[in-house]
Amino acid sequence: MKNEKSWDWHSEKKEIPVKEWQNRFNWVEEHSVSPDGEKIASIVNTDEAEFSVCMNGNIWEETFEKAWCLRFLPDGRLCVLASNDEEWTVCVDGTFWETWFDYIWDLQFTPDGSFVAAAVQKDGQYGMSVNDKAWDSFYENISGAVLSSQGTSAAVVQVDPLGQADIEGFNKGIFAVALNGIAQPEKFMNIWDLAFDSKGEQIASSIRKNRLDYSISKNSRIWEKNFQFSWKPEFINKGASVIAPVRQGGKWLLFKDSVPFWDKSYEQLGKLAIHGDGQKIAAIVSNAYGKWTVSENDKIWDFHCDSMISELFYSDNGSLLIAIFKNQGYWDVAVNGKPWNIKADKLWNPVISSNNEILATRMEKDGTFFLVVNGKVYQEPFDMIFEPKISPNNDKILLKAMKDGIYLRQILSLEKVL
Amino acid sequence: MQESLTIDEKLEPDKKDVIDEGVEAGLSRLTPQKISQVINQVLTKETGPRFKAYVETCMRCGLCADACNIFLSNDRDPKFSPAAKVKQTILEMIKRKGKVSKQFLKDTVRIAHTECNACKRCSMYCPFGIDIAYMMLQVRRICHKLEITPLYIQDTVNSHSATMNQMWVKEDEWIDTLQWQEEDAREEFENLRIPLDKDGADIMYSVIAPEPKFQAGLIYQTAVIMHAAGLNWTMPSTPGWDNSNMAMYTGDFEISARIAQVHYETAAKLHVKKIVMGECGHAFRSVYDVGNRWVGWAMPPVDLVHAIDFYHDMLTSGKIRVKEKYKKTVTLHDPCNISRGRGLHNKARELVNILCESFIEMTPNREHNYCCGAGGGVINCGPPWKGTRMVNSREKKDQIERTGAEVLIAPCHNCHSGLEDIVEHYGVDMEIKFFGDIIYEVMEKTIYQEKK
Repeated sequence: MKNEKSWDWHSEKKEIPVKEWQNRFNWVEEHSVSPDGEKIASIVNTDEAEFSVCMNGNIWEETFEKAWCLRFLPDGRLCVLASNDEEWTVCVDGTFWETWFDYIWDLQFTPDGSFVAAAVQKDGQYGMSVNDKAWDSFYENISGAVLSSQGTSAAVVQVDPLGQADIEGFNKGIFAVALNGIAQPEKFMNIWDLAFDSKGEQIASSIRKNRLDYSISKNSRIWEKNFQFSWKPEFINKGASVIAPVRQGGKWLLFKDSVPFWDKSYEQLGKLAIHGDGQKIAAIVSNAYGKWTVSENDKIWDFHCDSMISELFYSDNGSLLIAIFKNQGYWDVAVNGKPWNIKADKLWNPVISSNNEILATRMEKDGTFFLVVNGKVYQEPFDMIFEPKISPNNDKILLKAMKDGIYLRQILSLEKVL
Repeated sequence: MQESLTIDEKLEPDKKDVIDEGVEAGLSRLTPQKISQVINQVLTKETGPRFKAYVETCMRCGLCADACNIFLSNDRDPKFSPAAKVKQTILEMIKRKGKVSKQFLKDTVRIAHTECNACKRCSMYCPFGIDIAYMMLQVRRICHKLEITPLYIQDTVNSHSATMNQMWVKEDEWIDTLQWQEEDAREEFENLRIPLDKDGADIMYSVIAPEPKFQAGLIYQTAVIMHAAGLNWTMPSTPGWDNSNMAMYTGDFEISARIAQVHYETAAKLHVKKIVMGECGHAFRSVYDVGNRWVGWAMPPVDLVHAIDFYHDMLTSGKIRVKEKYKKTVTLHDPCNISRGRGLHNKARELVNILCESFIEMTPNREHNYCCGAGGGVINCGPPWKGTRMVNSREKKDQIERTGAEVLIAPCHNCHSGLEDIVEHYGVDMEIKFFGDIIYEVMEKTIYQEKK
């Protein structure tokens, strides 16, 4: 974030007592912590069927009949899905959106927090609302809603009605992609895995044309080839091309614009990670049944695990390719093919320093949370750790943690941690 | 075009007359070329040594016959024996090199989809361990590719594909139902919660779609158990909450895989230690043995336990205590997919003994128990096939009736529904319950005080 330099990187420790909230309210829900670590908030029950938000011990003036999904936005604003008089809307920093709906869910926001979106339902019709502007058209149903970094929105929508057990109607294709609320004319049997291009203008997806034929759609134009199956596509080359894992002849391959892209075939080829416009492309793959690894530009890591690779992503400059994996019952991190061997029970994605040299994350082991930096476990135990941050000049860690009912905001020097 | 099998002539009128619109419409579109092309493609490209070994090993000894609840329910008519079902379907397809008639395919759909519960009991009695359920599922794969799957189960699979749950439950309906159950449960427990999307919870609880659709009280009961035990748990607000998978039973392996993928990815995103699933057998088979393996996960990538395992842990560890044992006499139905499929029958008995005063075993039991008659997707073939399903459940009716128990515990949704149909159809005086029903009734409902 641009404003990270203005955060307090000097105060060694700040404390906010949170346990006492339990005595003030009937109950306190999960805590959410602001990116800069200065604020901690929870949905709290204040009276019978009355809820509010408590932030740093101060309660919002607004109350709700129901509330859920409390999240700090990347810009530090606090957002919750809230209901009064049996209608729902988004409440940001205690201010409701003007438009209320019969239901609201799937809260999403852009990386800078400037756009907030949710899936909404009104009078049995479905759509999305972005920054309090609802789509002009609503539909029979919605699924797979996505928000681009630029604030454009899209979802799979049901454009035709479907009777009970109407398999003939289903076969005709009743689903389309709606981009900013406008359904594209092409209808398919199924649509999944919506992906925006880097400008937030184009949409790619996995589609099912009929009972047996799967393909990839770019702006609702289908690739020429049919496949046995496919997973989520991604844009490369500034939106000019689409790549996707596809199944053909019982093997998984990476295709680009309907033609083979990588030479190798795999037992499985799943989630893709892309650096830049496709200078580097990596995928979670299996090259032997029950064994998982990573292929980068079609070259397989000298590494495998037996359970799962759940996440794969690049550092900003592309020098680090990071995988979260599970092996022999424990979660771990592998960076450029080298595992940390921290053997966690629970593990979150690392954050990466601006110089692409430091990775910091949190893990739970035997019921206790620890900070982990570049594979080294910081030995102080906590009851909970929230997502850490690395200072802009890469010499400090912002640790946000809970211990004995007190929220702690600590600045640790990297020297101390490492 | 070949004629259908002569064995077809022996069919009883009620079985011959079943009209399934999905099957009929699919058949009307088929051409001889399409039929042989699909059959030969599946037989040559989608099967391997396992299939070949089964085809070549079966000696037609007939030992599988008495293992089959449907054979027994039909007066031991040989055509209902597992080996005969294979002979009438896939062996004929091989023999005729895929050149079979539409009438043959109509009979094939009936046999594979409604006269085999894919329960695998016959495999235990086969001297060679031939997995006849696997053979029947290959037949269903052919039916899927020919688009002649029975209508109601196909609609269920369509729902899976579009919503990632089997009952067309919309995304907001799911969350709203959880919040409604939470609100109701607070009448009983002031501070009870059903935490949604709690990142880093220990447990993700997943269910099958009939629970939010028709049986939301089961979610309520589980929330009470989780609350009383003081567990750190959550339920996802996103697709991935439904662990069921009828695509597995129609041979739509691709949709089956996507369902399993979404289920486990949801758990991984929530950073939970394990998934606890409700009382469902086929869903367990799907996420433990079938859907996960198509994706390439040899074992569940996130630890997964069936409700029986979970309840057993809660009751033996003292996290849940019994206030007073259940008084009515109970018997226990061992669901195929968690007994033969996972060996949970002894834990289930330990549970019964902890919870109930009087337990009467049904015979046969444990891994030898008969299928409920609804399993393997048979009940999901819907109303057109209910009459034949009742005929095919006569042995099951006799088995449960012999126990004389007042209550039948069936820790599986499909079994539960199938057994409800049986007791209603045959007038058996017996209540059907889940373990969760009994636990909720007899547990100490103390309010958990959060320690931290």
